[in-house]
Amino acid sequence: MESKIFPGTVESIDLIRQYIKEISAHAGLDKKATYNLMLAADEIATNIMLYGYEKAGLTGDLKVLHTITEEELVVIFEDQALPFDPLARELPDEEDLSKPLEERSIGGLGIFLTVSGIDDFSYEYVNNQNRNIFKMKLQKPD
Amino acid sequence: MSFSINSNVSDVAEVGKVATIHLTGELDSLSARLFQKEIEKIALESPKDLVLDMENLSFMASAGLRVLIFSKQKIGPSLNIYIVKPQEPIVDTLEKTGLLHSVTIVDSYPS
Repeated sequence: MESKIFPGTVESIDLIRQYIKEISAHAGLDKKATYNLMLAADEIATNIMLYGYEKAGLTGDLKVLHTITEEELVVIFEDQALPFDPLARELPDEEDLSKPLEERSIGGLGIFLTVSGIDDFSYEYVNNQNRNIFKMKLQKPD
Repeated sequence: MSFSINSNVSDVAEVGKVATIHLTGELDSLSARLFQKEIEKIALESPKDLVLDMENLSFMASAGLRVLIFSKQKIGPSLNIYIVKPQEPIVDTLEKTGLLHSVTIVDSYPS
């Protein structure tokens, strides 16, 4: 697996997004899948940098690993912030999403976009590290 | 990627106050802070219409959506939000999150 390490600061989020764009191009993801992966990576990286590190007063980094197989692109974020499972909180449901803006609660949209845009998103806590795993299916060439 | 924002409020006959914001580049959680500040500034003028020019906005994270929700909650439910020429992935995001029903997508304003 190839990897690249980014400092655990909000300034890295933009760079991570651009790095994901490069990886996606390398894997041959189409435009829509690339955007969805960038969006998901942005949402998860934002949570890690803002809540995992900054607001918790911790320092660390975010390691982006990836591998490209025949079937899929797998991207893994590893960080050393406190354990945080993004899937543990309740996602907005159909009813929440149909509410008018003035009645909307503001949370949960980022994770909702992550889960809905990624073919298989998962989380695990292993060896004192959070691991957020993004899998995107690759289209077979005709 | 760079992000830039500028806004103005003008009086339009038969509408009232119209606030226009041009958003360019990538709107993530950092740049959404600037967007929110702009909305707070505009809210002081109590506009009837909020026009968001997104033609040159290539990315919008959930932080940007939260500012859309914030603007309606801050300025009031009678605020009309127009989005000018949003790019396809941004329309997808608005649709997925159900926000598309609360805004009007237009090619230009006034149409």
